Amino acid sequence: MKTKLFIFIYLFIFLSQLIMANKVEKVLFPVKDDPTVSFRVWFKVGSQNDPEGKEGLAYITAKMITEASTRNNSYEKILEKLYPIASSYSEKVDKEMTVIYGRTHKDNLDEFYKLFVEAILSPAFNEDDFKRIKTNAINYIQNDLRYSNDEELGKAALYGFVFEGTPYSHLTNGTIESLNNMTLDDVRGFYERYYNRFNFVIGLGGGYDEKLVDRLEKDLSALGDLRSQSPAKPNVQPIQGYNFLMIEKDADATAISFGFPVNILRNDEDFVALWVFNSWFGEHRNQSSHLYQVIREKRGLNYGDYSYIETFLNGGQRNMPEPNNPRRQQIFEVWIRPVQNQHRHFALRAALRELKKVVDNGMTNEDFELTKKFLYSYCLNYAQTTMDKLGYQIDSKFYGVNDQGNYIHYFRNKLNLLKLEDVNRAIKKYIQYDNIKFAIVTKNAEEFKEELVNNVPSPITYTSEVDESVLKEDSEIQVFPLNIDREKIKIVKVDEMFQK
Amino acid sequence: MVRFTIVIFGLIMLINHTAAISKEKTKEKKFFPYTTYTETLQNGLKVILIPMPSDGLVSYYSIVRTGSRDEYEPGHTGFAHFFEHMMFRGTKKYPGNVYDKLVISMGADANAYTTDDYTCYHLSITKDNLEKVMELESDRFQNLFYEESAFKTESGAVYGEYRKGKTSPFFWIWEKLLSSAFTKHTYKHTTIGFEEDIKAMPTMYDYSISFFNRYYRPENVILLIVGDITPKEIMPMIKSYYGGWKKGYIPPKVEQEPKQVSEIVSEVIYPGKSLPILSVAYKGSPYDPSDKDVLSAFLLGDLAFGENSALYKKLYINEQKVQYLEPQFERNRDPFLWIVWAMVNDEKDLDYVKSQILSTAEFYKNNLVSKTELENLKKRLKYMYLMNLDTPAKVAGIMANEIAISTTVESVDKSFATIEKITPEDIQNAAKKYFTTEQRTIVTLKGKM
Repeated sequence: MKTKLFIFIYLFIFLSQLIMANKVEKVLFPVKDDPTVSFRVWFKVGSQNDPEGKEGLAYITAKMITEASTRNNSYEKILEKLYPIASSYSEKVDKEMTVIYGRTHKDNLDEFYKLFVEAILSPAFNEDDFKRIKTNAINYIQNDLRYSNDEELGKAALYGFVFEGTPYSHLTNGTIESLNNMTLDDVRGFYERYYNRFNFVIGLGGGYDEKLVDRLEKDLSALGDLRSQSPAKPNVQPIQGYNFLMIEKDADATAISFGFPVNILRNDEDFVALWVFNSWFGEHRNQSSHLYQVIREKRGLNYGDYSYIETFLNGGQRNMPEPNNPRRQQIFEVWIRPVQNQHRHFALRAALRELKKVVDNGMTNEDFELTKKFLYSYCLNYAQTTMDKLGYQIDSKFYGVNDQGNYIHYFRNKLNLLKLEDVNRAIKKYIQYDNIKFAIVTKNAEEFKEELVNNVPSPITYTSEVDESVLKEDSEIQVFPLNIDREKIKIVKVDEMFQK
Repeated sequence: MVRFTIVIFGLIMLINHTAAISKEKTKEKKFFPYTTYTETLQNGLKVILIPMPSDGLVSYYSIVRTGSRDEYEPGHTGFAHFFEHMMFRGTKKYPGNVYDKLVISMGADANAYTTDDYTCYHLSITKDNLEKVMELESDRFQNLFYEESAFKTESGAVYGEYRKGKTSPFFWIWEKLLSSAFTKHTYKHTTIGFEEDIKAMPTMYDYSISFFNRYYRPENVILLIVGDITPKEIMPMIKSYYGGWKKGYIPPKVEQEPKQVSEIVSEVIYPGKSLPILSVAYKGSPYDPSDKDVLSAFLLGDLAFGENSALYKKLYINEQKVQYLEPQFERNRDPFLWIVWAMVNDEKDLDYVKSQILSTAEFYKNNLVSKTELENLKKRLKYMYLMNLDTPAKVAGIMANEIAISTTVESVDKSFATIEKITPEDIQNAAKKYFTTEQRTIVTLKGKM
């Protein structure tokens, strides 16, 4: 009888574990000869889940997991243990996704694994760590973003402006007021609510073995039971005409970002077609970008000019896109790197004129063929390391892209089948130039406002001889009409940005 | 700017196992999974090849051993960097727009950067485009041609880059630190150069031709190719494309810096808002892979001020006085600065943080680091190295710096051997040698608001 009971209990435990195990979703990217193992544990929570008045809570909570003490080890001790194995773990928090990730050499897998899992399962949430992390976050907004990086400031302002009134609008890092108001109890509550065992996906890449997958699954099933829900897709309001947010700042140069919501995601049929258009129009930090050719190469007005149909974070630092910032709502975005204040109106006109041209006329066959060829090889650079490739596969899972385990290969196959008509149809369907929001960091914003509203011509002069064709084009650009209503230009002081 | 330090250094240090004897295949070594080939052409162009599995990707690096260090003529600061831009303006055979189109059609990730000691042109390509890239690269390095108008237009883009950089407080303190610490040596100006020189760039067309003729010569260039390649197949190709490049390098007349005899203290006001930044810098020695003092100093930087140091834990984690504390001990061709950076949370703690950095430096002069700590660092360097050589772009990026400074791949071997032998006493000796008051420059930055 006892034996039967024992077998029964054993079977029960075994089966319940099996059922539970089956619930955990996984993204695996094995690379047999890779001497390292990459971890990416995706929690289905992001800044869109921040409660009102507690903006930045998702970010701070993740930081309290990756840059703070656990119940077994102080943060100091953790750093000490990670140091000789040259490994680390970190977090990436975006609107919809939080990824706790890290990488280690196989020799040190066990040591690293324990620390990594412990960070997720048993954060200490102590006051000292909280204070440090909060101070850093506030400093980032107060000093770095507002004062030492106008490009990022412009981009962050644009996202806030386009997504106004939705859970996407606030900075992932939060606001000065929300960070000041945040308590450790907020963090504990957020962790309990969203870091639960129904809310994560295991991502593993590199030279791991199957046992590790099972071990991680089993260990992470110790997370709490509270189930959480994600908010609905942001209900972004349609833009009417041209709307400006000008950030007044004592700066020598003007940073310009503009864009509008675009209803296309990676899993859409037209996505690769629109990607080809965007690559031609503004491939990030590449001379293939048409905008770059017009504004920088021919005229030397700035350092670069690019466009995007998916969020590209840390563009000032990175040449290739970071994975794991997928969103259910993307925007089409143009980034004009700082131009001298005297050229701001001209640069803006030039960019909008190019946008109008391509929307009205589409791409030429020559540009299409060249871009297609370019992207076919260039896309291999998007994800070179196992860690990045794993990140891409996680994004594929998010978007529901059926790519057979390799997004880049899938992308190349789609690219091969594309025709010019597909791209031009996609441009007509998704891109327009009538309803746009602009975020501009500049000096004497009032003056710029008047120039814009009155369509004042914006001629430029060159110190060198410029090609006749450029001058002819300039004569059109400098008077290119922009219909802007006075009341659609809002000017704010830089110190007001991200305050609350 | 402050993110290099021992991390990158460590990686390169330990790539000793890549070292090769000219023209001979190296034996498989314990750590490095790739073999290396080196050959110098008759015109002096050194070629270094590192085959590795890479899904058909190849990294193609042309390293010119000319950087802002070589800008010895007055009024020409920033020129090496400006010239880097001009290298994309094409040749008579392949004018800029044609070059661009070809590179675009290959889907290459092509770019370049300039440092104080060298300028690096790099492309990430697929292997089927290797020969075409070689043709293009060898052509522009030998036959660069641009009109004066293109030259003037490009100067506008450089000025744009300057404006972009100037919004950062690090730009301000870096400029101040270099101009305070050096009096004669060209390290006194930054790589981007002084604003007045950048403004004057459009007038320097003729100078740019002379710059090219003097410095862009095979004896001053190293070609590094990493990835899906077979050396015996591509060496003949390299010879045919680069063999005709004429010698003619004229070394710049860089003045050596006189020995610093007393401490320099300076301050800069950043015209925006920033937390105060503190830099404590010591004059270092030129990079020499066999010099135990130099390598000990690199380790010392990390032990004393790195993220596992007692001071880091004290100031960053426990007392929370700083946003960060970071050593920047880099390799350079001439004696440069070895710097400790800190961003201080509260201006009234500036003196305290400074005194903590200085007393830590003193501590290492008077005390021995524990053997365990030193061994942990050596272990860390080994794993950094092992983990970071996973793509051709990373291998080439890491190796480019080592090769640009030392000119050889063998130096990696030497430096690693040197590191292996370093003892706690060596670390103490390095502290005594370099952490002296008279070799010190301290610059603080405060925000205007």
